[in-house]
Formats: sequence, structure tokens, C-alpha cells
Amino acid sequence: MTAVNVGLRVIGSVGGGYAFTATLVALLSAALSRAEISRSEAVTAAALMGYVLYLAVLLWGFSVRSVTRLWALLASGTALASALAFLMR
Amino acid sequence: MEPTFRKSMAWLHTWAGVLIGSLLFAIFWMGALSVFDREIDRWMMPGTRLAPALAQQPVKLDGPITEAAQRLAQGAPEWFIRLPSERVPAVELRWRDEASKAMGRRYLHPQTGAVLEHTDTLAGTGFIFPFHYSLHLKWKDVGVWLVGMAGMAMLLLVVSGLVIHRRIFADFFLFRPRKHLQRASLDLHNLTGVLAMPFHFVSALSGVVILFTIYWPSSYLVAYPQVKDARQAFSAEGLGQYRRAKASNPGEPLASLDAMLASAHQQWHGGRADFVRAWHPGDVNSYVELRRSYADMLTMNLDQLYFDASNGVLLHSFEAAPIMTSQRFMTGLHRAQWDHWWLRWLYFGAGITGCVMIATGLLVWLESRRASHARKGLAGVRLVEALAVFSVPGIFIATLVFFVANRLLPQDAAFAEQGRAGLEMAAFYIAWICALIHAAVRGRAAWREQIWAVGGLALLAVLLNWVTTGHHLVFTLGHGLGAVAGMDMLLLAAAVLAIAVARRLTRQASDARSTLVTELANSTTSHA
Repeated sequence: MTAVNVGLRVIGSVGGGYAFTATLVALLSAALSRAEISRSEAVTAAALMGYVLYLAVLLWGFSVRSVTRLWALLASGTALASALAFLMR
Repeated sequence: MEPTFRKSMAWLHTWAGVLIGSLLFAIFWMGALSVFDREIDRWMMPGTRLAPALAQQPVKLDGPITEAAQRLAQGAPEWFIRLPSERVPAVELRWRDEASKAMGRRYLHPQTGAVLEHTDTLAGTGFIFPFHYSLHLKWKDVGVWLVGMAGMAMLLLVVSGLVIHRRIFADFFLFRPRKHLQRASLDLHNLTGVLAMPFHFVSALSGVVILFTIYWPSSYLVAYPQVKDARQAFSAEGLGQYRRAKASNPGEPLASLDAMLASAHQQWHGGRADFVRAWHPGDVNSYVELRRSYADMLTMNLDQLYFDASNGVLLHSFEAAPIMTSQRFMTGLHRAQWDHWWLRWLYFGAGITGCVMIATGLLVWLESRRASHARKGLAGVRLVEALAVFSVPGIFIATLVFFVANRLLPQDAAFAEQGRAGLEMAAFYIAWICALIHAAVRGRAAWREQIWAVGGLALLAVLLNWVTTGHHLVFTLGHGLGAVAGMDMLLLAAAVLAIAVARRLTRQASDARSTLVTELANSTTSHA
């Protein structure tokens, strides 16, 4: 493991993982707002889910074999989730 | 990353631990102390050391207490009162100062309304507790974000620690304190880690959950797209927070607060308000906010009632919805605001156990690398050792210096535009920085030297409390001042423990020196 490799993994998992989770939270919040619960409840539920999702993303980020794969999946996942959240809102 | 999941987790546990360990230790330490923040307040504000029995008697707000509040908070846009409790037997009055935007604070006698002798200090609730969740780094919530990251790292450390730990059950019964330091540290790390694991996981998770509006802004930004201040809109809907704008016209005098308290008691089917806030006092649009006590429940409820200040008519009532209530359940689980002494001590013990786990984790890292780093000329051990000393005995020293400064500074102390409370904080930070410099200079010897200092400072704090207030242990125990007695006893216990550890470290160091001298002497004779 080179230093660059480790740096990319940490930034990817912590920063990229947060960006990905935050867009998932936004998507979830937008989706739940459309359901039969009040808007503030949808927001709270989505935010609470965020912690569990982020923990899972972090564990995955620090165990997945290749850093390239980590970045590629997080970037495409973030893009997809933001597009969906934008359409949902 | 590594060939197997377990190996990846071992890497993560080692490096996340050594990188975040110091920060986590500070958070755990301040969190454990925050369990007793009100008790620390009593110790640091001697004027408020009233007999807890006073809180048992019914309190009347109308009359001297309200008059004192109106007098002290004259011109303030809001003031609030916290009703006395077993932990805080006095009435706490706070108000927002229009000019400085700071919050003023005085404590009132619950029966006479007399203003109690004031000590300008942030103490436990104003310094130690905010340090726990914000590190007092207010700019752009940097401190809150750092603590949040440390909280997530703690969750990762618990999970990765469990994954790499092969013999959880067997190791639970394993402690070899007389073996060399690395073994003993690892045993203690495993023991405390497994023993308090549920607490560590739940407290880290519930801790980060409390401030979800800071950590997940995307949740409300997307749900309230057309609103200018989405967070405010969300808070109004989810957390209550009824507001009525000021009319800037003088209004009727304040109606009976006791009547509002009685009405709340009825509305909440026996639940009681413990927080009373007057908004825009004196204005025609003035109103009173009542919040329900959570002394008898785990969930930190958001029940609120709002009354018109002039006639006591109910304007608005709020109760949190189910999902928000589950968030407040986790908040309550973390903050432990209920009245239950056994559980309070258990929380404190679990917090201290966390401190032991983090400190021994750092020791394992250091001891397993000490020899090889010295051989290869690497600086890692020196650097991490200085940081570990700074963050473990260093923060103990800083905290104790904070207590000592509280007892030593004169009531009207001021220096370089800092009031007394600011000087106490300055003493904390200066002591902490000195500990860092000392650790960097003295290397391994800094451990025992700083632990000696911890022992001395803890004794000094107890002694100063006695000298400056006359409240020694026999007095406080005899007069039912449990908070002060408890703090003094914990300080004494800390002193005994620190001196015992320091003595052992000193003995080991001199043993090691004499062995070295003998070896050197032997090698010289054999060469000769």
C-alpha cells in the first residue's frame, strides 16, 4: 500500500462516502415526504438512516479491494442518487 | 483492501485508533465528567450549595422570584427560569443581554428569591459539557463536525475491534497486570473494550444522532426547497419552537406564572414544567413558554406550552411526532437527564472505562513499536507518545488546573479583557499546552512526571475547596451536600490512584536504570 493509495482511500471513504450518504439521505427524505408522513418526520427518518448507511459505506470503503473501484462506485452512486433526488423533490 | 476482511479491519482499527485516539479520549473524558456537570457546578459555584431538601418544598414563582427575574433581566428580549431540582436546589435564572448578546446567569434562593452569591464561571454545564460535543471550536461548527467524525470513527473502531478479536469470551477472563506493559495493556484494552462494548457503541451512535440537523443538512434542504431558511422551517415543524413577533408596544403586566404551571400540570396529566421562559417581556405580544421536565422519563420530550403573558391564555401546544420522539429517545439515552443515581454512576463508570480502553489502546500501539522504531530510527513512537501523554495525563492536569483556578482566582478577577470565567478557561488551555511541551521534551519520563502532577493537583483542589469555602468532607457529608462531597471524594480517589501509578512508574524507571548500569559495568569488565 503506497501513501497515495492510503490517502485516496481515506478521502474516498470518509469524504466521498459522506457525499454519497448525504445524497442518499436527501433522496430518502424526498421520497418519504411524498409518503403518508409529515415532512418533518420524513426529514428526521432520513437523517437517522444516514448514520447507519454511512457506517456501512465506511466499512465497505475500508475493506473493498481496489481504490479505483471505491471511487468509481461512490461517484456513480452519488450522481445517480442526486439525479433521483432532484427528480423527486 | 487487505486480502481478507479481518485483515482490513485490523489495519483500520490500528490506524483509525492511533489517529483519532487522542481526540476520542478528550471527548470520552469530558463526556464522563458531563454526567456530573451539575454537581461540578455546585463545587465551582459555592454560593449555590443549598441543601437538596430545599428542592422538595413547593416553589412559588409569583412574587420575589419573578420580581428578581424582571429586575435582573431588565430590557432583555427574553429570560428564562429553571425550577429547582434535587441536583440544582436553586432557581436558575438566565437572560439574553441585548448589548453583548451573551447570556447572563444568576441563581436565586427557591423560597426567598434572594440572589445567591455569584461566581463568574462556566463550570461543568458551561465549559465541560460543551467541550464534550464542540471542543469549544465555534467557528463554522468545526468542533461539532470533528466530534461527529470522532463519533463515526468510534463506531468503526468498535465494529473493527469485534471483527479482529478472535477469543472474545476467553479473553474476558484474562488480565495479566504483572506481565510486561504491552501484555497488560492489551488485556486491559480487550477487557474494557468487551465489557463496555454495548455502552460504547450505543453512546457513540446516540451521541452523533443528537445533532442530526448539523450533520445531515441535505435531509431538510431537499424537503423544504421553497423556504429561505429550511432548517428553521424544519425546526418549527419538527421541534416546536412557536414564535410570535415583538409588537414594540408596552403591554399588560405579566400574568401569574404559577397559574400557568398549574395549567401545564393538568394538560400533561401530572407531568410538570421545569423550564419557564418569558419572550419579549413587557411587550404587548409577550408570551410565556413552558417545557416539560424529563426527570422521570428516558425520552427527552419536546412537550411545550405557550401562554399569552398578559392573560395566561393558551396560545399553542406542541408534542413531538413519533419519529422525532424516537430521536429524542436516543438523545435521552445519551444525555442521561433523568433522576436516577445508580444509573448516573453507571454512566460515569462506563465513560471512565472508555477512557481506560482508549489509553491502553494507545499504549499497545506504542509498546509494540517502541523497540523496532528505536532500532530503525523512526520518529513515530516519539510523536505518538508525546500526543498520548498530552491527551491522557495532560487533559487530567488541564481539568484539575481549571478546578484549582476556580478556587484561587479572586471574585472580580479580570485580565486582558477576560473576565473571571475566561481566565479559568485560559488556565485550562495554558496548562494543557504546557503538558504538550513537557511531553515533547521529556519523552517517556513525561508519563510518570505528569501523573505525579495529577496526584498533587487533585489533592490541592480538595484542599483549596476546604480553605476557600470551609466545606471539608465531614461538613459536606453531614449537611447533605452530596454534590460537593462526591466531587471531593472522586478527587481524593483520583489522587490516590495517580500517586500509586506514579510510584510504580518511578520504581520501574529506577529499576531499569540500575539494570542498565549493572549491564554496562559487566560489559566494561568483560571487555577489560
